[in-house]
Amino acid sequence: MIGRQLARIAVRHLARHPWQLGLAVLGIALGVAVAVSIDLANESARRAFSLATVAVTGRATHQVVGGPSGLPDDFYRVLKVELGARLAAPVLSGDVAAADHPGRTFTVLGVDPFAEAPFRPYLEAEGVRAAGTTAGGSSVPGAAAGERRDPPPRDRLSTVAALVTRPGAILVARPTARELGLRAGDRLAVRAAGIRRELMVAGLLDPADEASARALDGLLVTDISSAQEIFGAPGRLGRIDLIVADDEAGRALLDRIARALPPGAELVAAGARAGTTAQMIRAFQWNLTALSLLALVVGMFLIYQTMTFSVVQRRPLIGALRAIGVTRGEIFALVMTEAALIGVVGTAAGLALGLGLTRGLLALVTRTINDLYFVLSVRDVALDPLALAKGVLLGVGATLAAALAPALEATGAPPRVVMSRGALESGARRMVPRVTWLGGGLLAGGAGILALPAGIAGGFAGLFVLMIGCALVAPAAALGLLRLLQPVAATAFGTLGRLATRGIVASLSRTAVAIAALMIAVSAAIGVGIMIASFREAVVSWLEGTLRADVYVSAPSLVGNRSDATLEPALVARLAATPGVARAGTSRGVLVPGPGGPVQVVALDVDPARPPRWRFRDGSSEAVWGRDDGTGDGVIVSEPYANRRGARVGHAVRLHTDRGDHDFRVDGVFYDYGSSAGVVVMSRRTYDRFWDDRRVSGVAIEAAPGADLGALMAALRERAAGDQEVVVRSNRALREASLEIFDRTFAITSVLRTLTVAVAFIGMLAALMALQLERAREIAVLRTLGLTPRQVWGLVTAETGLMGLLAGVLAVPGGLMLAGILVFVINRRSFGWTMPIDPSPAILLQGVALSVLAAVLAGLYPAWRMARALPADALRDE
Amino acid sequence: MPGPAVELLHVGKTYREGDSERAVLSDVSLAIAPGEIVVLVGRSGSGKSTLLNLIAGIDRPTTGRVLVDGTDLTALDEDARTRFRRRRIGFVFQFFNLIPLLSVEENLLLPLELNGKADAAGVARARGLLERVGLGDRGASLPDRLSGGEQQRVAIARALVHDPALILADEPTGTLDAETAAAVLALLDGLAREAGKTVVMVTHSREVVGVADRIFDVQRSRLVEQPVAPGASGRSGAPARSA
Repeated sequence: MIGRQLARIAVRHLARHPWQLGLAVLGIALGVAVAVSIDLANESARRAFSLATVAVTGRATHQVVGGPSGLPDDFYRVLKVELGARLAAPVLSGDVAAADHPGRTFTVLGVDPFAEAPFRPYLEAEGVRAAGTTAGGSSVPGAAAGERRDPPPRDRLSTVAALVTRPGAILVARPTARELGLRAGDRLAVRAAGIRRELMVAGLLDPADEASARALDGLLVTDISSAQEIFGAPGRLGRIDLIVADDEAGRALLDRIARALPPGAELVAAGARAGTTAQMIRAFQWNLTALSLLALVVGMFLIYQTMTFSVVQRRPLIGALRAIGVTRGEIFALVMTEAALIGVVGTAAGLALGLGLTRGLLALVTRTINDLYFVLSVRDVALDPLALAKGVLLGVGATLAAALAPALEATGAPPRVVMSRGALESGARRMVPRVTWLGGGLLAGGAGILALPAGIAGGFAGLFVLMIGCALVAPAAALGLLRLLQPVAATAFGTLGRLATRGIVASLSRTAVAIAALMIAVSAAIGVGIMIASFREAVVSWLEGTLRADVYVSAPSLVGNRSDATLEPALVARLAATPGVARAGTSRGVLVPGPGGPVQVVALDVDPARPPRWRFRDGSSEAVWGRDDGTGDGVIVSEPYANRRGARVGHAVRLHTDRGDHDFRVDGVFYDYGSSAGVVVMSRRTYDRFWDDRRVSGVAIEAAPGADLGALMAALRERAAGDQEVVVRSNRALREASLEIFDRTFAITSVLRTLTVAVAFIGMLAALMALQLERAREIAVLRTLGLTPRQVWGLVTAETGLMGLLAGVLAVPGGLMLAGILVFVINRRSFGWTMPIDPSPAILLQGVALSVLAAVLAGLYPAWRMARALPADALRDE
Repeated sequence: MPGPAVELLHVGKTYREGDSERAVLSDVSLAIAPGEIVVLVGRSGSGKSTLLNLIAGIDRPTTGRVLVDGTDLTALDEDARTRFRRRRIGFVFQFFNLIPLLSVEENLLLPLELNGKADAAGVARARGLLERVGLGDRGASLPDRLSGGEQQRVAIARALVHDPALILADEPTGTLDAETAAAVLALLDGLAREAGKTVVMVTHSREVVGVADRIFDVQRSRLVEQPVAPGASGRSGAPARSA
């Protein structure tokens, strides 16, 4: 605790330096805002994902999951009647898009209403209101002609009857219906795999609480037979949910079920599939969180800088206070109280700003998740108290941690002795070797952490330690560079050049922190920039190898990079027979159960003369396409698959096929950036031998020699018209669409990168404002000696530009290191893929230019203030 | 007959203090002849340094005009005033105010460089002046390696190096011990008189008053001329008038 007078000193000091205070608050606010908003956006997406999972999984303990063609619906009967699984519910679910509400997607949950109650409680009687009639079947009392009112609740049986008897009848949550302007009895048009279906709202679901409301948002509940029609899967089920007691009898039942499973089916614990997807999303979110924390780390530099300034400025005062009997502890408390004050105000502002930022970032996060992983409709920001608490802890904690060193420094001020600026700066320069050694130690430690097999978290921990190491080495490196630059500056600009370079060295205690903060931010910009450019280059070259046909036809998919919808078989035959088509190769992408979880399998009908030109890390695809005589079982796996599951050439991949489990031989590992979960690729003939699924996800068409591509595409569209909506894209359009998804994926990264540089910019501005305050007399003397305001402006700008240049030049090795770690460690551990690194000189130069620009811009205002200050005012302060 | 080196015409200066205004100088008029050494004395806060700053052109009067060598500083803009100052005025501060980032010799070269005279002749002149102030061997040292007296000797050399017509000195011995102060003052007096410079000095010190040709006391925002003590080294009879 500090006394009232000391508190007064703290408050008045802060009030007298509004710029310093404002910039420190802004710095910490931005850092907290970025961290909190990413956390909230991630949490909102995670919660939406989890609710969506719960909505479709319900209270099931286990699931019988089918392969590509699902499960025969007869197995449901077998389960209930022959195997005695009393609590079993068949499900067929899939994603559809609202035809008349662009961008709105739903999960259609096809269920057996009679078996549902124990599984999904919100479908129970009290929550359901049916269409158009009261319980007695009469019209709504009191409703005027033409006016419709929602009827009161009616009994469950009549609702169930409506669902079962009316094809396309659905139940919708009341808030969703209200949002879409739907009432019971209305029609809702949706598109499933490009085919338009008309559904009818049979009843509204009244969620009992907020959690149920969120779970039901985006869910259309229908009868299983309607779902079979919507998804074109007559007689098939997606899965069967089970509730099995965790006892002897339950285990015996599971054992019986496992033995009776149809080929290709699998018995899994509920949520296992969602778990795999969640894991993928978590890796993506980890990357965002790490990048957001970087902004906070840069913000910490700013706080450290501010608190150091405030202590150094007040050394005479602190010395005087010590002389009149204020203890070291009280001085420490004084500085820490000020820091806490700044931290609390900055954090509060950061939380408010973060909430504002969340909505924008959430849109970017959701879009990426939709592009890469899962159809997710996140429409609410989840105000997670834990995320907010973490924000408070981060903001106040980071501020106090950053203020610790200056607070300890303040306690060292000897009573009555006022240490000169020069002595302080000499002390700072003497610290440089020690700080450099510490930085070197951290660099070695960081490299050590990266070498450990410690997953994504370990990768980021190593990365952060390395970045802090770089920051600590920066002052020594900056001094070394300045030593080289000094003669050049002196020759070019004479004494003013000397002043500019020496000014940075002379104020090392301040300039070093600003340079280090900017260096980290620019390193991040360079590192992430190189990673994205390398990645893009790899994707472009991968697309060139993958997309070898002239035209691609597929059903519209709701997941950006996945073709989960299928084409009608008749349509495929018609497309292949279109004049001008030389060859039509098909592709089929399916999720196949395997011992280690579901596996994305892609079956390709490839012309052996023109196989995809993938780059192989090991082995080749020759045996898969070249010697495919219909008896082979060779597959190739993507690099992420190989990295995640430890598959190698010669190893076997076990998959549940419709003929039972089969070990497929791995012939090659190829570089692939289409799926971070990894894919197993096989020839269509092999696939057809093991699975009964004859559906096609997409058709790759090679035009006959001399055929007009535009005319061919028009002909293909014409052939498909009226049947099923299809996407016909030229090779080039598909490539562009793929790259568009790629660019969208990294949009959020660019936003975070910009925010980090913004925090560093504020740090630089704060440093320069403080320097301006301290150098007022020196500048006044120069003005008295005859330096014009313009020359002062030039001097200060040259100094700030030089600081930016130093930070930029030092950021080049830092950025290259960061890029290397992102490409070879973080990407590999997060997504399983690697790529050749492409350190384009343009990105490095852009980084240096960004650094100089940020510094010069930050210096404009302080330089202007210094230039226009009346020398007499500063001299009078003597 | 040459005109006055410095001429103040009805100069006034007021400062804002919150909602009120405080007059530091009012209706001050003064003419200083070329080569004259004028000393301003007065109590702390009386406005001596303000008057010096107005003559230097680093502050602007609220009313009246300030002419140096016939040039009306109040009619010049900031840039032109600065360029005039760098050519015609040398300044010696109480706290020396050497540029800590520059060596002793570089401090001397700075005014020359600003005037475009940092050529070989300029460097020779700077070195010659350093010899004259007894610091010929300290040219490469940084200011913080020098004692207070040494620093003030460097400051005097810096004020003279570009050959200005007017030297302004604000408490040049204020922070020095008596012996060092006397040596510094003798140096300033000797060099200025030798080169025929006009000097305006602000001081509290009796020793400084001893070198004055004329002495003015700043009292209640006005100048009151004081008699020069008998036996002082000042040259009497220079044309001047006081308000």
